Amino acid sequence: MGAVRDAIVAFIELGLGCERRRHWTLRREEEKTVISHEDIPLEDVNPQERAALDHLFSVTYEELRRLASAVRRRDPAATLSPTTLVNEAWLKLARSPAVAQASELHFKRIAARAMRQVLVGAVRRRSAYKRGSGPAMRVTFDESLACAEAGDAQLLELDAALEELARMNPRHALMVESRFFGGLEVSEIALLLEVSEATILRDWRAARAWLAKQLER
Amino acid sequence: MDAGRWETIQSLFHSVADLPEAERAAALRASCGGDQDLMDEVLGMLAADGQSAALLDDGVVPLAERVMGAPVIPPEAYQDVGPYQIQRVLGEGGMGTVFLGVRTDLGSVAAIKILRDAWISPARRERFSLEQRTLARLDHPNIARLLDADTLPDGTPFFVMEYVDGEPLDGDYCDRHGCSLAQRLRLFRSVCEAVQFAHQHAVIHRDLKPSNILVTADGAVKLLDFGIAKHMGELDAVADLTRTGLRLMTPAYASPEQIRGERAALHTDVYSLGVVLYQLLTGRLPFDVGEQKSLEAALQLVERDAVRPSLVARRVMDKSPGGRNLLAASASAWADLDVLCLTAMHKDPRRRYGSAEALIRDIDHYLRGEPLEARPDTWSYRLGKFVRRRRQAVAAGVAALVAVAALVVFFTIRLTTERNAALAEAARTQRIQRFMMNLFQGGDTEAGPAKDLRVATLIERGVQEARTLDQDPAVQAELYQTLGEIYQKLGSLDQADGLLTSSLERRRAIAGGDGPGVAESLVAMGLLRVDQAKLDDAERLARAGLQLSRKNMGADHPAVATATDALGKVLGEQGKYAEAIPVLEEAVRLRSAPGAAAADLASSLYELANVYFYAGRYPEAEALNQRVLAISRRIYGERHPRVAEALVNLGAIQQDLGHYAEAERFHRQALPITQAYYGADHYRTASNITMVARALVFQKRLEEAVALLQQALAIQQRVFGKSHPRVASALNELGNVAVARRQFDEAKIAFRRMAEIYRDVYAGKHYLIGTAVSNLGSAYMAEKNWVQAEGLFREALAMFEQTLAPDHLNIAIARIKLGRTLLRQKRYGEAEMATGAGYRILTRQTSPAVSWLNSARTDLAEAYDALRQPEKAAAFRKELAQIQAQK
Repeated sequence: MGAVRDAIVAFIELGLGCERRRHWTLRREEEKTVISHEDIPLEDVNPQERAALDHLFSVTYEELRRLASAVRRRDPAATLSPTTLVNEAWLKLARSPAVAQASELHFKRIAARAMRQVLVGAVRRRSAYKRGSGPAMRVTFDESLACAEAGDAQLLELDAALEELARMNPRHALMVESRFFGGLEVSEIALLLEVSEATILRDWRAARAWLAKQLER
Repeated sequence: MDAGRWETIQSLFHSVADLPEAERAAALRASCGGDQDLMDEVLGMLAADGQSAALLDDGVVPLAERVMGAPVIPPEAYQDVGPYQIQRVLGEGGMGTVFLGVRTDLGSVAAIKILRDAWISPARRERFSLEQRTLARLDHPNIARLLDADTLPDGTPFFVMEYVDGEPLDGDYCDRHGCSLAQRLRLFRSVCEAVQFAHQHAVIHRDLKPSNILVTADGAVKLLDFGIAKHMGELDAVADLTRTGLRLMTPAYASPEQIRGERAALHTDVYSLGVVLYQLLTGRLPFDVGEQKSLEAALQLVERDAVRPSLVARRVMDKSPGGRNLLAASASAWADLDVLCLTAMHKDPRRRYGSAEALIRDIDHYLRGEPLEARPDTWSYRLGKFVRRRRQAVAAGVAALVAVAALVVFFTIRLTTERNAALAEAARTQRIQRFMMNLFQGGDTEAGPAKDLRVATLIERGVQEARTLDQDPAVQAELYQTLGEIYQKLGSLDQADGLLTSSLERRRAIAGGDGPGVAESLVAMGLLRVDQAKLDDAERLARAGLQLSRKNMGADHPAVATATDALGKVLGEQGKYAEAIPVLEEAVRLRSAPGAAAADLASSLYELANVYFYAGRYPEAEALNQRVLAISRRIYGERHPRVAEALVNLGAIQQDLGHYAEAERFHRQALPITQAYYGADHYRTASNITMVARALVFQKRLEEAVALLQQALAIQQRVFGKSHPRVASALNELGNVAVARRQFDEAKIAFRRMAEIYRDVYAGKHYLIGTAVSNLGSAYMAEKNWVQAEGLFREALAMFEQTLAPDHLNIAIARIKLGRTLLRQKRYGEAEMATGAGYRILTRQTSPAVSWLNSARTDLAEAYDALRQPEKAAAFRKELAQIQAQK
């Protein structure tokens, strides 16, 4: 009889997560509440690039290309916005062990870089193909191609301007890349670069003005 | 332009950007000192600042749409590939385009797959080449075979396959060709054979669906497209998970575990085969998973049970000429088909056919009219499944426990029937089973239990039933205790108290003041008192129960072990660790005896480990937790919350010992178990995530920690709402990390919200309010805002003094922090008093927090220097040096 009762009670504990048996976690949480930051050294923290992240990069690259190309097929599922892309990619990739090591923010930064390189890569490839170095036999001309070529030129200019910005201030280039190609929020970029949001807004204004000026030329 | 120049340009830009336009040029000219280039540069930027810049302001979307709007290399570009002349595009897959080609020399046709955008990544080329190698291995009459492979002049790889001119195998095909049930099953059997062949060659297809299964004009079945196939034994690399996890597969045919992104195995294909069969039998998909749906939506759909094929067929098939001849099959034949098809596509991979071969065997059994090997789900399976589903569906535990209630009634029935020896065993079992079936299915085999069935209602019924057992007080007392303990678990302590008290009274009435049942009741009451926070009462009851059971039962009886264990718990709760340890050691000894339940032993070991941990004896705590882990794994399996708890406890020990990487490892091991058991939105999951984050914080991986902590915070807010102590606790973690990252404004926001929540929840008086205020003070202190910090520490201290014992750790720490702010304000006398008081409290603690003691020593030495008491200063420096030396 006692055994049946024990079984039932154990069952309830599992189902309900009875607090008394589990005081451990709770109590530890409360204890930790008093421990303040002073135990944590304050020096700059910048997670090192790891092999797992390199791998993540190529995966992101793939996924972004695929989603971007869904636009071409007029796939209604492709609500293409960099934030959506990156968030979706993160949601799905976060399950894999290699990616679980990376923070979401770090992932987003890499995704922004990947987005940029996918687009630039496509443009470079297309121009190489047009120059006849591809396996070309026939070249058909249509409207979508004309439109794409206009986009290609803009993208290459922006890419070059960003390269120059990176030479002047790599953090500013990272900021623009994250915001433009990755759709990161100002607050996220602030976390990423470990400065205040006000600083980001200020730097963005200057970098945007400079880039806009470069692109107008 | 170099970095210095850019700095200059920027600062000029900012200095004039907000001036009225008319004043800008003059201001600039004054600053540029005749550098016209510089001036032009800034003026250009100012002009751009005021205007829109479509490209930059619209973001990447329109740009990406333009760039990706046209294929990089159009399919028409391919004309000659190797010896083949391209005729037309047959289809576009995830990675490649498939063309129809004619061999110029022989005139034979073939399908040619060319890797699209081969340049994108090496991973892409690798995957393509994998598909080719896979095909090369699979030489089977039902699999389209590989003929050739090569690369184009620009390095783009391609391969040549047998061209299959056929129709997709689905319900429509069968209708058009008027296939009978047996014909449909034979076609399907061929597919299973092809899949089985692939499995024998260690290849999982992972994308089985009608468009990849063609039937040629002469009725031969051919399986195509191993584009996302996987070789068994290969580890799932990230890229691999992406392929299955992301939308390359077709959601309608994907197994639940595939959609969840888990590792693919043979049973993944078995599931897809089940869906294909479902379609052949009914002409419908089991779930309407549209392409547009997100994976999450697809997963939700696929978590539902499919309607039985027989029901769908009856509804659908008589509308089509081909379908009608299906309905000729008998009801019992359809019942078998239901089992066959639903076993193949069972949600739980372990309950599916273990292989395509097992599926083939049951098809053959069916075709020969023999009984199937598969069995429909039993009630116990459904019960388990129901509990699991509910557990994830409800947040804290409101309703999951219809199952518990069922067990209560089950128990009641068992008691009643045991009373009535005339009731035969078989009849009893049947009655219970029928009862469970009805309870959990509400009469409808497809549905779960009635939604309005509540735990409370069922327990009340149990209590009423127990009340009727007056003529059998022993059984009644037993029931009252059980129901009382259930109320206790549910948090209804008053009801629990009433029932346990009744139980005790009944037992005293039967056996006098010291019968065996009386001891049991005393122990149960003792544990209830712990929950009621009446610890002295709890100790008295537990001791009385223990003494009585020793007297009645003899020293080695399990009841004595139970009572000893309870007393140990009570002493641990009281913080009397030194007393608790020998008692729990004794409980462990008693429960290590042969014949004792392993679960009981694990439970005592767990308590003992806790007590050692709190007493700061980590080696003992660690060894005990390792034992708990081993036993729990053995009796509960790998994925059980008890296993997760043991892992978390091991992690906590490593954390306290400063082995943060190990702590992280344990907490991460626990996390998937916790998540799977309680669901993603559960406070335990949040708590486990927080543990991982803490381990990261101490490894200085703050960015990762912040991401996890935000995740935990979001869960807590979803589960408990905006104002709850758990939300406050999560904010505290984030605040502390923000301080470490020197983001003081964010830290202050977090701590302020934390304090607000605690004030709200605890009506303005609780030590946790003090903790929040103190941490807010720490944020100011880190900014070197000593005055603000001082005020906050004083406020915190006042709260602690109202709510905590005078020598509490928190009071000591608050005093030391206060002392630091005074020291920095050069108020040395006050500083010496505050820090000294904190220091004295800490040195009296059983396990002093060493880092705080060291801060106190440093500060005191500095204060005494300033107060010109060099001996005292030297004494503290000496203490510090000794501690350094020990390290």
